[in-house]
Amino acid sequence: MFNPDINDYQLTSIITECCGGVAVVYSALYKPNNQNVAIKRYFVDKTKENASLIQQDILTRKELQHANILPYLTSFVHGKELYVVSPLMTFGSCRDILDHYFQEGLPELACALVLRDVLQALQYLHKQLYIHRSVRASHVLVGANGGVRLSGLRSAASLMVRGRRQRHLHQLPPPDADNTNLMWLSPELLEQNLKGYDEKSDIYSLGVLCCELANGAVPFAEVPTTLMFTEKVRGSRPQLLDCSTFPEPCLDDSEMKSMYNTDSGVGDSADGVMRLRQLYAARKLSDTFHHLSEMALQREPDKRPSATQLLNHPFFKQIRKTDYLPGLIGRVKPIKPDLSDMSALLLQEKLSEMEIEKTTEWDF
Amino acid sequence: MDPRMCRKISSSESLPDADNIEYEVSNIIAPQESDDNFMLDGSPEPHSVTWLDNDQIDDLDLNLDPTNLCFHRVDSADIIYRNKKKKCKMVGKYVMGDVLGEGSYGKVKEMLDSETLCRRAVKILKKRKLRRIPNGEQNVQREIQLLRILRHKNVIELVDVMYNDEKQKMYLVMEFCVGVLQDMLEGSPGKKFPQRQAHDYFTQLLDGLEYLHGQGVVHKDIKPGNLLLTLDQTLKITDFGVAEALDMFSPEDTCYTGQGSPAFQPPEIANGAEQFSGVKVDIWSSGVTLYNMTTGRYPFEGDNVYRLLESIGRGEPAPPPPSLGPTLGALLTNMLKRDPDLRPTVHEIKRHSWVKARPPLEAGERMVTPRSRRSDELHTSTVIPYLVERHYPSAQEYFTERDYRHELGDGGSRTLSTAELSDAESRGRKRRWHSSCGRLPSCRLT
Repeated sequence: MFNPDINDYQLTSIITECCGGVAVVYSALYKPNNQNVAIKRYFVDKTKENASLIQQDILTRKELQHANILPYLTSFVHGKELYVVSPLMTFGSCRDILDHYFQEGLPELACALVLRDVLQALQYLHKQLYIHRSVRASHVLVGANGGVRLSGLRSAASLMVRGRRQRHLHQLPPPDADNTNLMWLSPELLEQNLKGYDEKSDIYSLGVLCCELANGAVPFAEVPTTLMFTEKVRGSRPQLLDCSTFPEPCLDDSEMKSMYNTDSGVGDSADGVMRLRQLYAARKLSDTFHHLSEMALQREPDKRPSATQLLNHPFFKQIRKTDYLPGLIGRVKPIKPDLSDMSALLLQEKLSEMEIEKTTEWDF
Repeated sequence: MDPRMCRKISSSESLPDADNIEYEVSNIIAPQESDDNFMLDGSPEPHSVTWLDNDQIDDLDLNLDPTNLCFHRVDSADIIYRNKKKKCKMVGKYVMGDVLGEGSYGKVKEMLDSETLCRRAVKILKKRKLRRIPNGEQNVQREIQLLRILRHKNVIELVDVMYNDEKQKMYLVMEFCVGVLQDMLEGSPGKKFPQRQAHDYFTQLLDGLEYLHGQGVVHKDIKPGNLLLTLDQTLKITDFGVAEALDMFSPEDTCYTGQGSPAFQPPEIANGAEQFSGVKVDIWSSGVTLYNMTTGRYPFEGDNVYRLLESIGRGEPAPPPPSLGPTLGALLTNMLKRDPDLRPTVHEIKRHSWVKARPPLEAGERMVTPRSRRSDELHTSTVIPYLVERHYPSAQEYFTERDYRHELGDGGSRTLSTAELSDAESRGRKRRWHSSCGRLPSCRLT
């Protein structure tokens, strides 16, 4: 058991900032047994979203017990902040891994290992009548031994509503800070019509995750949200990029860049784009991988296979017992306590104090 | 098929003289000969084309003389459909869709939040129209003030308020709902719901009322016309135009004005009492609503507003029909007590045995679904065609039956059902996609 007391934890580094700046994830040492943990610190006052979503996240995780779902250890309030303790996932999220080490996407076998674990998590969630609604690389965490766990349960929804089993849901998941979560969501979920959506919506998101892991970039990331919506509604399917799907480079650079979202931001040179393009055009992903993503990304939810069916897909036959995810993504450095990070941490403490002074205005 | 979705083109060439009333029924263009586009280029073809809009088409149908009715046989392959141009319009971050309803104050339209993709409804209020309604501006102000503080699953949420000073318009952005109980009642057999369905709605109405009364708010205009349903059948109390926030520090719930709808008004208001209990007004109106939902009738009826109010003020309500069963009958009689003090509170109603036990769906009864204004049973977003217009500028405006059947992939060997035809618009959209799919090569068509 983990004590809900800040004094039992020694913060060791900042892992990431998330939820649009309202939360920071730290790695920490749990002093009583020297175990590494991750602590998510919410600045509850800053959150525009109500605290009930954080509560929902905790309640759902407490209820769920599965090797591929991020467990909840404990939570407590200290000062004006809420701390939620989870096991430390040493290699961070797949999104971080893609951004820092694999801009062209993960090797196919690594994709297979990750996707299999995510499907096992989904299989369990769906059996428990939950729909995850935010299956995306940033919610897929990789632990020290290569174990993969799904997080992001704050947007999960139960098909049990007021004690009655619903066949379909109709509401959008709670919006995230920058509305990026919409890119992974299925057409029928986004449509918000009387038909509603069910757990097959997660399968579509898994298909988008296939593309994200393999291509490095998220499909639809560079197009306006409303165009992403109409594209999905009209049945356009994201694809895995390799020599079989990548068209002849006949377009000029700027156009290519926006279409393939290979421009990851400031400092990205045209050479980098060129390099990625050549990488895609030169590689060949297996037919079973293409097939898996196509099955998952079908417009008609009923045609998509269930998580259980997908686990039996030939794509996963390539996995051998000895395959080890950390070995496949060898360049990824595990999260380690870092002194320079700690200075940043101290600075952050100061900043938050300054803010308190700033906001202490008496206004009668 | 919704006439707004497709407009048909009629050829004047085949139209007979005006005095000889013999109209062509199918609104068809001249047979399509060599060139698909001969009509569209404005080419100097001998046939001059008359464009009929929907109203004219309706008139045509009305003027049909059954004795002289003559059908020109036209091959279905010769029909050309035209997609109505949908001009995409933004208000703030919202994309406008079709009209959902119309009131004295202005229109209610569907909208889409372009950032969150959440469907919304917007009440568009025109200052000019509002001034003509008694207490119009005042009621709107009150509604906004109240809705801003109210937050409950069964109370409509006001999401955003926008103003356009230039156009003298105000936009109240609300949660999106698919139907009004009133419309559903009107479209159902016997103008009533099965008890099971009425029970679902009534219990949600009670939850909403319990919250409102707990917040010191009296609605004063509860009726099926002010109860909306969301996609997942959650009931939302709407229209707080005549609602009133009670004085928080007063032990009483005394109100002085009532402006609700006559058929749902209690005797004390019908008789013009100077002051009355606000909470008990809502109880009465909820009683009339339940009466109406389960019987299809009203406890009081009258030829005109005056007679109606007179009968409410003087008489006893028509007893609930015995077919409702004794428990529901007793509940209705209780809620419709002339003396407000004798009417039960929300808490008491919640403990009533009819409310506590969910009635089963009787044999032969069917749940009533929200009516659709369009041919679309699923209430799909009406914003999509506007978005298509915006994002796919090369959109094909015209398509023929053959194109459409080609879309269906059956080689045109089958006759189309009306349901399929009503889907023509969406097929047309899909078709246009073909021409524009070059934009996102990382995607492929289903």
